[in-house]
Amino acid sequence: MRRFLHCFCLMSSKVDRHRFGYEDPTILASETAFTVNEVEALYDLYKKLSSSIIKDGLLHKEEFQLALFRSSSKQNLFADRVFDLFDIKRNGVIEFGEFVRSLSIFHPNASEAEKISFAFRLYDLRQTGYIERDEVKEMVSALLSESDLELSDDVIESIVDKTMVEADLKGDGKIDQEEWKEFVAKHPSLIKNMTLPYLKDITIQFPSFVLNTEVKD
Amino acid sequence: MDSSWFKKSVPKMVRTKQEQEFDETSEKITWKQTETLNAFHIISLSEGFDLSPLFEEKKREEKEELRFATTLPASSVISTLEEVAKAGKFRIKKSDSMVRLQGEESGRKGKLAIAAEIFAVTPSFLVVEVKKDSGDTLEYNQFCSKELRPALKDIVWTSPVDGSTQRLLD
Repeated sequence: MRRFLHCFCLMSSKVDRHRFGYEDPTILASETAFTVNEVEALYDLYKKLSSSIIKDGLLHKEEFQLALFRSSSKQNLFADRVFDLFDIKRNGVIEFGEFVRSLSIFHPNASEAEKISFAFRLYDLRQTGYIERDEVKEMVSALLSESDLELSDDVIESIVDKTMVEADLKGDGKIDQEEWKEFVAKHPSLIKNMTLPYLKDITIQFPSFVLNTEVKD
Repeated sequence: MDSSWFKKSVPKMVRTKQEQEFDETSEKITWKQTETLNAFHIISLSEGFDLSPLFEEKKREEKEELRFATTLPASSVISTLEEVAKAGKFRIKKSDSMVRLQGEESGRKGKLAIAAEIFAVTPSFLVVEVKKDSGDTLEYNQFCSKELRPALKDIVWTSPVDGSTQRLLD
């Protein structure tokens, strides 16, 4: 009898929601660029993503990689950085609230200041508070190898040099937050990757996961 | 050329209007110097930042952009595109860093127009972005696969097969 009740409880949405680290969509909507409907749609998505490999209702790195690259083992420096920043509590998983709050930064309506700051933290690979020259070089190399392109070390060095000359105004071999802000002000397109235009209308752009059916365009 | 890196657009400052007539459009385009990409432009192209697969279950449709790298000078890229234009009976307008092709005949959604823009990563390493400017996407895709990509094979730069890094002259 007890087992039956236990199973019954697991099927009720209330317990289900607490299990997945559910947060009140009204609160999340008020603190992010998403509407309540969108937060609820994101919750459906989150549930799906977070139960793809480890069925604990939390989004693990492999599940994130699986969703992004259709492969749970694909290594990508930048996806790693995105995952780490989404994992605000730094407990190795992305919880639902973290998921929504971090995605919100990519929303077209999010402030530029938020995006600039997020990009800075993304590129500050070792979280020293600065983007060091060798981190810039490491990222350029990572991008080239991701695209199966090989450039000689000399060429990579010259690309990094040119960038540092322009961005590192204090000339100390690293870019601090202030210098980064000024650099982005000169090249606004640098934070283009911090905006995902389709986030503006998730429920319309991606009806398939909202309705849970095979929807053709 | 099939990696997702090639499906994302390179940042640019000037966008051409899609609905205007060829000549009118060409006059309004600001012909500018070859734009230089810095390290962070390159880094921002990573597929690790493209979170759209999280949302989209279906296979992504053929994107309208095509991007490739080359170590040949911009003039080689432009003359290759001129040959493609001649073979496909396209009208062509060009500057130092931009080429625009327009079909003579109207297709399913008007005349097909293609724009190619050349960006310099270093003086000897260019990234060229080709996208559909107007017209039908299917016709554009056909143009890309049947006429454009074969013509580009000789100028597209890929890693040397034997693994040694190419010595590039600056």
